[in-house]
Amino acid sequence: MKIQLRHAVNAGVIFGIITIFLFLIGFTGTAADLFSDLFRNKNAASFLGLNPQMLNMLIFLGLIGVWAGAYGSRKSKSQTDDPWGAALIGGLTAGLVDGLLVSCLALLVGTLNLRGVRINVYLSEVLPDAIKLFLVGKSPLQGATVYFVWLTLTGLLGGLLSRGLGRGSWRARSGAAWNNILGKISQQSIVKQVRGSRNTRYVVYGILLLLVFLLPLRAGPYWNYTIGSVGIYVLLGLGLNIVVGLAGLLDLGYVAFFAIGAYTMALLTAPQPHHLMWSFWIALPIGVLLAALTGLLLGAPVLRMRGDYLAIVTLGFGEIIRILSKSDALTPFTGGPSGVKAIGFPTLFGKPFNSGVDFVYLIFLAVLLIIFVTNRLQNSRVGRAWEAMREDETVSRAMGINTLTQKLLAFAIGAAFAGLGGALFASRNVFTGPEDHNLMVSINVVAVVIVGGMGNIPGVIAGALVLKGLPEVLRQLQDYRVLVFGALLVVMMLWRPAGLIPSSRRKMEVGKDTGVIETPEGGRGK
Amino acid sequence: MTIALETRSLTKQFGGLTAVNAVDLVIPENAIFSVIGPNGAGKTTFYNCITAFYEPDAGEVLFYGKSLVGLTPDQVTYRGISRTYQNIRLFANMSAIENILVGEHSRLRASWLEAIIRTPRVVKEEIDALEKARQLLNFVGLNSLGDQLARNLPYGAQRRLEIARALASQPRLLLLDEPTAGMNPHETTDMMHFIRRLRDELSITILLIEHDMRVVMGISEQIAVLDYGAKIAEGTPAEIQHNPRVIEAYLGSGAASGLNAAARQPA
Repeated sequence: MKIQLRHAVNAGVIFGIITIFLFLIGFTGTAADLFSDLFRNKNAASFLGLNPQMLNMLIFLGLIGVWAGAYGSRKSKSQTDDPWGAALIGGLTAGLVDGLLVSCLALLVGTLNLRGVRINVYLSEVLPDAIKLFLVGKSPLQGATVYFVWLTLTGLLGGLLSRGLGRGSWRARSGAAWNNILGKISQQSIVKQVRGSRNTRYVVYGILLLLVFLLPLRAGPYWNYTIGSVGIYVLLGLGLNIVVGLAGLLDLGYVAFFAIGAYTMALLTAPQPHHLMWSFWIALPIGVLLAALTGLLLGAPVLRMRGDYLAIVTLGFGEIIRILSKSDALTPFTGGPSGVKAIGFPTLFGKPFNSGVDFVYLIFLAVLLIIFVTNRLQNSRVGRAWEAMREDETVSRAMGINTLTQKLLAFAIGAAFAGLGGALFASRNVFTGPEDHNLMVSINVVAVVIVGGMGNIPGVIAGALVLKGLPEVLRQLQDYRVLVFGALLVVMMLWRPAGLIPSSRRKMEVGKDTGVIETPEGGRGK
Repeated sequence: MTIALETRSLTKQFGGLTAVNAVDLVIPENAIFSVIGPNGAGKTTFYNCITAFYEPDAGEVLFYGKSLVGLTPDQVTYRGISRTYQNIRLFANMSAIENILVGEHSRLRASWLEAIIRTPRVVKEEIDALEKARQLLNFVGLNSLGDQLARNLPYGAQRRLEIARALASQPRLLLLDEPTAGMNPHETTDMMHFIRRLRDELSITILLIEHDMRVVMGISEQIAVLDYGAKIAEGTPAEIQHNPRVIEAYLGSGAASGLNAAARQPA
């Protein structure tokens, strides 16, 4: 009993601190806005005599309370024979402690505010308005009481829910039934056949592809822009995946190749500063080739370094390219800090690609091409050599792999993909400048590869969707993007160290079946 | 008699330490030749000089009459020398069969461009490579374990997989670095049979570093003993067993003189 209580109190303290933290960074107000968009519950609010924003914030904090209660009761349930009572007590205790903490905060902040202390001098996010909202527009004491009662109740509810939904018997029973049904279905020969055959996979891919291809027609310009950005990050991610995921070379200056692709496209097709105004289709391959060439030139001297040293050198190289592009000395050549404007866009059979939809399709085609190339390379002698180098460079040399040429190859191919991404990026945005190519791009691409799953094509796509697509979906949370980004990376590394979709190995011993073996989770042992 | 490998006064220094000191060895084709010596005697450094991981400071390494000095490790592998490691060094996150396919790297030709286009020649090459990898898997007795990740294999299987990977490069000379380390007596006996099979069935010359004297004396035809980087003895197992300098190196000078005294005055 004592242990259970301690668990519940701990849960209450943890969630109380989380709530306080969220208040201090001004998140409670943002969450209220977010919920307003979701529910549009003005009527209910006026019925309760509350401002809708306040109601929404209470709902948000209530959800945290439910979570706290569920957490507190789940912790205690595992220790006892009497789950119902324990769950309720656990939830109640967690809610009480949570409520106590938050109401103390409300009381403190409210009182200070009434006395005329401007808290936002110390904590910029805690504006008087935010405090008023936090106190539900009442006096500090009333506000604190509201929280105490509300969080205790929601904690209790959380306890109840966790008892009901948690490891309740109905869940076990329905789970068993479900497995039974699944088992029966998979025993049917047709299902077995369909599942095992290659054609099914192609059909599934086909349908997915069709859906993806129809998407831009339905999406508006804003969403097409976002889809295009995700696509460009998929390109970059797949390129870096070859360098980091397959060949195991940590490149933190990957943005350099992106910049070279973008600037080649910009300088060759824009009226300023060179007045070349070449066709997009000529500039595109030149950009890709130049990026690959730069990859070779950079790689030749630095690829003798391993691991961390390589990371530092490439990091420096990325910055050098950006600083050169904005330097005064090179302004006549690169357009300097103000960048290059009016970059050319592609035309096909006389029809200009000026709508967002056309460009999304162009990026899709590029992504498909890159997926195809990556897939072919990965399952070849070259791809195996890269992976062997990643696993153990010394041994891979002893196995007859010329590690220097293989590294250069990986570097150049990765750079070429980035160049392609950069050229498309510049042309789509019609403008590019030094700030499009800062260090954050490199970091983001590395994060895409790591979060998605190193060495794995679907993983990289998932990573780009999560890291570039999700922030757009959660526009409201813009202020917290970096915070969420960091938290996500930490959580990912703890829970799924091998990435969202860890890489798996093709089955090869028995026939040419392309089934896969799951790589068990866990850090990649070196 | 064809000579597979010959070293002429091979020397390697690390700062003031002479790890390999003017070693002359002649290893005939198709032999099982052992190099033994106390810990730190320079055996592994000797291997690293042969496989071009270290550039020797002096001396020559000749493989079928051609010098290996100045080549890179991958070129040495291409010439037909392959090795295993004292502490198993497989590509841990790749499957067993992929490990073997990596071993075949130097015998395959597909370039990156051919790999992308997948020319008919590359397709055929890949099919053949996979078939050969399966045969090697069978040869070392790991059939049905091919799709396991290398790091998930049991210890003995990892040792054999490492040999299979080395064999995949079609070596004429195989350098084994303590292949029975960490094995129980039963596994050790299996490994001895297996090494003999490598020589008899695949006619590969074997150079062996080993600490287990039962293995060394059981399968070697010739033994060289290194101590402080220098070769102190060479001969058949029987000769080495009775060589006072070898006994001294292993057991200390007191033991050697005691044995000598005992030999001079039979009780």
